[in-house]
Amino acid sequence: MNALEVLNLVKTFDGFKAVDDISFAVPEGSVFGLIGRNGAGKTTTIRMMMNIYIPDSGEVILRGTKIGQEFKDKVGYLPEERGLYKKMKVMETLLYFAELKGKTGREVEKRANEYLERFELADRKNSKLEDLSKGNQQKVQFITTILHNPEFIILDEPFSGLDPINTDLLREIIVELKSKGKIIIFSTHLMDFAEKMCDQIAMIEKGKVILHGSLKEIKTKYAQKNVSLNYEGNISFLKNNPLVESIEDFGNSTGIRVKDSAQIQQLLKLLVENNITVNKFSANDISLHEIFIEAAGGNNKTKTGKEA
Amino acid sequence: MFNRRTLAIIKRELREKLFSKAFILMTLLVPIFLFAILGMQTFFISMGGDTKANIEIISETPQLTGALVKSFQEQNDVKTGNLKVSFSTGTKSEFDTRLNSLKKDILNDKLTGIVFIPDSALKDKKIEYYSKNPNNTSLFNRIKQPINKALIEVYFTGQNLSEAQISFARASVDFNGFRISADKEIHQEGIGNTIVAFLFTFLLYFSLILLGTMIMRSVVQEKNNRIVEVLLSSASSTELMVGKILGNSITGVVQMFIWLLPLMAIISTSWFILPEELTLSITMGNIVFVLFNYFIGLITFLGLFASVGSIFDNDQDAQSGVWPVTILIMVPFFISLSLNDNPGNTIAKIASMFPFASIIVMPARIAITDVPTIQIVISILVSIATMLAIFPIAGKIYRVGVLMTGKKPKWSEVVKWLKVK
Repeated sequence: MNALEVLNLVKTFDGFKAVDDISFAVPEGSVFGLIGRNGAGKTTTIRMMMNIYIPDSGEVILRGTKIGQEFKDKVGYLPEERGLYKKMKVMETLLYFAELKGKTGREVEKRANEYLERFELADRKNSKLEDLSKGNQQKVQFITTILHNPEFIILDEPFSGLDPINTDLLREIIVELKSKGKIIIFSTHLMDFAEKMCDQIAMIEKGKVILHGSLKEIKTKYAQKNVSLNYEGNISFLKNNPLVESIEDFGNSTGIRVKDSAQIQQLLKLLVENNITVNKFSANDISLHEIFIEAAGGNNKTKTGKEA
Repeated sequence: MFNRRTLAIIKRELREKLFSKAFILMTLLVPIFLFAILGMQTFFISMGGDTKANIEIISETPQLTGALVKSFQEQNDVKTGNLKVSFSTGTKSEFDTRLNSLKKDILNDKLTGIVFIPDSALKDKKIEYYSKNPNNTSLFNRIKQPINKALIEVYFTGQNLSEAQISFARASVDFNGFRISADKEIHQEGIGNTIVAFLFTFLLYFSLILLGTMIMRSVVQEKNNRIVEVLLSSASSTELMVGKILGNSITGVVQMFIWLLPLMAIISTSWFILPEELTLSITMGNIVFVLFNYFIGLITFLGLFASVGSIFDNDQDAQSGVWPVTILIMVPFFISLSLNDNPGNTIAKIASMFPFASIIVMPARIAITDVPTIQIVISILVSIATMLAIFPIAGKIYRVGVLMTGKKPKWSEVVKWLKVK
């Protein structure tokens, strides 16, 4: 069952098609990753999903009906470019944004206190935002996103500008929200995060969806004939080997694609024979990063990526 | 358009504006500023007249010289020493030699000027003034009267006239204004109504510009800080704009109410006894009109200022792009000031029922003349129509502009925004 469906969205700015016929579906209970490079059209898509931009054509369907104002109340949205009223106090800010979503009263205040406690901001609740560090301001903004207990949480590049500890905290909370049945949609250009957290992805490149579906299925499909390798030594001899179709070096790990899946064992043998210390050899495995490069690069050659 | 979100936004605006130190400060400072301007004007005018002057009067008629000495002695600034006058009698040729010898003193500013009163002045009152600055109106005003007095005295002497007749001839005309109004009673008109008109004009002008600039800055700031995107994920751009404008308009009306409190106390109670020349013809009904009119005006102009704010993403650009709105306030302001010279002037009459201008000109007209009810009604209708016409336009510009960042848009692009559905 799809909670949210994005159908044929198009948005043009001054003749430039920022979003060019994008469609994808977000199933109930999923963590959905909208991934792509900077400028691919992720934020524009999200803004249309939030009804902030009005699409030139296309629509967003929430459980069978077109989204409207009532959708906004169900969503917590963290924009890519963060901003709050600098002169307002932390608690005031939290209550104001909850009020805009229609949540007032003691219940909200209690939740706000709980979150402040959790984010180690309890002692700052009467400080003005401008007196907080940038990291703490981001935390406050994140609390405003989830305080009204929304069904949908849309985060635009949530990890940008966070230190490792806060990144972990945020990840922890996203997992927790997922376990409560919330639908989380986030955009990122960081493939690592997407790979670790998403059930579903839509890959966007130049305003078009180039890949879309369950991450597991996509990986299975792309992983055939692919080996993920961690090693020590020199593997340059593989470059012109007839077994190998391509090599992508990512520094720590290397992705090797063979021409035929039956040749994977031969590849391992070849490595051992050449005195390469193999630390990790994972057959039929591929990183999202590799998939992205292949899909984005191969988009011109084949149209296989688009499943929607 | 008006719902709990709008209400939440209004509440926040009120918290930030109405219950702030800035509000108290502005409420106190504007009247002080106003009186400072008034005071300064009077001060400079009186300063200009009070400068020390040193003149010499040479008359051809000995009898006149005596009369001059007498009439100048009664002058206040002669008594205070601000005006030094020396008198002598001499013919035209004697005067010419004297003038030559005094030339140096005049050029050195030791002597302000020399007045020569020929015999013929007793027929045509034409006299001559020689100075570095021969068109010194302020000095003429100071010496005109005593000279005239002396001339009259000499002219009538020996013509068998009584002292009373002479003093009648000396007196100048003194205007006393009476206001004719619809209620058939004729009141003596004082300066009070002019002051009230002036007060309305300035208060409206200052507060529209100040509150307008404030809302413009706050829109620029929200845009600049990217708060607007968070806000738009909860409320629509119309709700946001309506909330902001209403919040600020309420603040403005409360402020105006506070400013007008003394005036209301004067006209509705007998706590203050005003001298007759300060009698006010304004009524409580008029004050209610002024406040209502101001509220409509705020919504109209704050809408314009907000949409200008939404076009730009920094204060400097916004400040230089706001001129079309400022002109809409400035022109009526000057028209309104012109009422002081002639309360019945046609331009002001038209302006008081003309879009945008009605907001600023009508209150001053009401204070200074008796405006027929029908004109007041037309003025209100025009103002409301203007507000209703301007709001969707401002809303459209705001909706598109508030999410535009980066390059400063051209006016032609802004016009295009209006066509966005």
